Amino acid sequence: MSEKKSEQQKPGMSRRRFLTYTIASTGGFLASGVLFPMIRFAVDPLLQKGTDTKYVDVGPVDEFGSKPKSVEFRIKRKDGWYMKEDGEKATAWVAKHGAEILALSPICKHLGCTVHWEGGGHLNHFYCPCHGGLYTKDGVNVPGTPPNGPLDTYAYKVENGRLLLGPITKRGGGA
Amino acid sequence: MAHNDGNGKVHYVGDSRVRVREKKLLPKDYSEFPGKTEAFFPNFLLKEWMVAVVVLVGFMALVMAEEPPLGEQADPTNTGFLPVPDWYFLFLYELLKFKWASGPFVVLGTVVIPGLMVGGLVLAPWLDRGKDRRPMKRPTATGIALLTLVAIVTLTWVAWDEHEKQLAAQPKGSSEDAKIVDPQNPAYEIYKNNACVNCHGQKLEGLQGPALTGIGGAYTPEQLIDIMDKGKGTMPAGMFQGNEQEKRQLAEWLAKQYPPEEKESEQ
Amino acid sequence: MLKAAYEWLDQRLDITPMWRDLADHEVPEHVNPAHHFSAFIYCFGGLTFFIVVIQILSGMFLTMYYVPDIENAWKSVDYLQNEIAFGQIVRGMHHWGASVSIVMLFLHTLRVFFTGSYKHPREFNWLIGLGLFGVMVGLGFTGYLLPWDNKAYFATKVGIEIAASVPVVGDAIATFLQGGEIVGAQTLARFFALHVFFLPAALLGLMGAHFFLIRKQGISGPL
Repeated sequence: MSEKKSEQQKPGMSRRRFLTYTIASTGGFLASGVLFPMIRFAVDPLLQKGTDTKYVDVGPVDEFGSKPKSVEFRIKRKDGWYMKEDGEKATAWVAKHGAEILALSPICKHLGCTVHWEGGGHLNHFYCPCHGGLYTKDGVNVPGTPPNGPLDTYAYKVENGRLLLGPITKRGGGA
Repeated sequence: MAHNDGNGKVHYVGDSRVRVREKKLLPKDYSEFPGKTEAFFPNFLLKEWMVAVVVLVGFMALVMAEEPPLGEQADPTNTGFLPVPDWYFLFLYELLKFKWASGPFVVLGTVVIPGLMVGGLVLAPWLDRGKDRRPMKRPTATGIALLTLVAIVTLTWVAWDEHEKQLAAQPKGSSEDAKIVDPQNPAYEIYKNNACVNCHGQKLEGLQGPALTGIGGAYTPEQLIDIMDKGKGTMPAGMFQGNEQEKRQLAEWLAKQYPPEEKESEQ
Repeated sequence: MLKAAYEWLDQRLDITPMWRDLADHEVPEHVNPAHHFSAFIYCFGGLTFFIVVIQILSGMFLTMYYVPDIENAWKSVDYLQNEIAFGQIVRGMHHWGASVSIVMLFLHTLRVFFTGSYKHPREFNWLIGLGLFGVMVGLGFTGYLLPWDNKAYFATKVGIEIAASVPVVGDAIATFLQGGEIVGAQTLARFFALHVFFLPAALLGLMGAHFFLIRKQGISGPL
């Protein structure tokens, strides 16, 4: 190709380099045109706001004393297109601390096993059977056991003498 | 690294079988080639990719303009549904409607004719052995191919036309193609954000509750508000959780949901 | 830095000659649309490949949400199309891309046929091409069922009945496709397996062979 030779003698960008840049940008356009919708599609869950958890009635407030008591309740939540008809099962350890109510999630902060009040003979503590994690009555982890944070709590409301549990909140700190 | 000692022995990199490259690979200078050939990369590929850009832009325009159809969930007990294969199977589908290719002769339609077509294509290089490649210089091959093409296009067109007519003859309203009137109306969003959608469906098609397509003829907006407030049948009262203005908007939009045939006659 | 990494790899794997062979091969004038506009008919093969790449990518992304089960398939498609950002676009790309790829493939086949490019010595590549056509049609047929709407269900039923009417082996084919006595849960599972594993694997293998032969034999000369 004779035109190639004459162009190469000009100062500045060579024809080949110019072509390479053009093809890179054309390829970039093709790739981004095809991939942008797909990647946005795939990462959509990252950009979705969490669904609002509704407060669920778990029984009369009077039923709970200063000793943690386990309650079972069901949360209705839509998981994509799937919704379990009678909701997902959830449990909480509920106890009164003076006027305050503390509703603890039973999910151990170590590896997600389920903790029990005074399980395994550990009096006055929550005990996790998997690796022997211990928490005090207010859900704070006992130093020297595997968990590295306090148990999560459920937000709660009292309406007409009944206890309603809401979304789970993480607590910072811990021992 | 081994090196070339000049007496023709092949040298390798380390003890692997990768050869030491003897001279630098430079892009070939192909100015002495006959005709205007050009290197695949980057010269020719750039042109191909430019064509691809044009195609991609057209394709994405199609994708954005046309929503991919999704009918109602499959219901094997639905006897009113008109089956239709994807368009590229239509010609075969139509072929099987001919008397001489159905009933006792169905083998002709399902095996013999498709078999001849596939067999003809498979054997084409051996049936058409002449040296000439120009279509005009091999009239038999070109002729058969053109006739087959015409037949396929005609059959596809006939099948499509017939399907359209059958769809039109079907009782309307129950048809899957029943469309929502004025889906751009903000009332549709209000509808979708309320409990309505759970029973009456994303597209007003009805799930546990009845379909709302075509409800327009049946109730006035006032009556619809009344139903939203007080419920009806298995529908509990007070299902609509929005404010009064939204309720009004929704009722007026629902009242516009005429069945498709009335809508069509309007246009 | 990049150059050093490349050279390190090249010394060990000798990759330069591989891509240089592809990059530097001469493309003749008669297939170059920049020289003769009518040469655009030679683009259909490449465009089929381009659309197939779109199909593979969009298909992979769709399986992030899709569930091949008769209870959930339709719900998951409805969800990904209506609730997920760009769901309509991604499903649209796969849905319309299926038709566009069949069109492109058909035009490519016509080009090869009418330019007599299937003739000696390219008979084998013609056969591979027909195999590719068969696989693509199979992908279309199996993919059509996956959204599990009425259209999909009844079209598949008709398709399987047509297969069943073939003498001798018809019933066996129908049962194999259905995976059971009716078009149902097992059919969907099997069509999914065929659509995302078996047929794409065959497609990739055949495409590799197709391209290898084109490189080996070169493109057919001008008419």
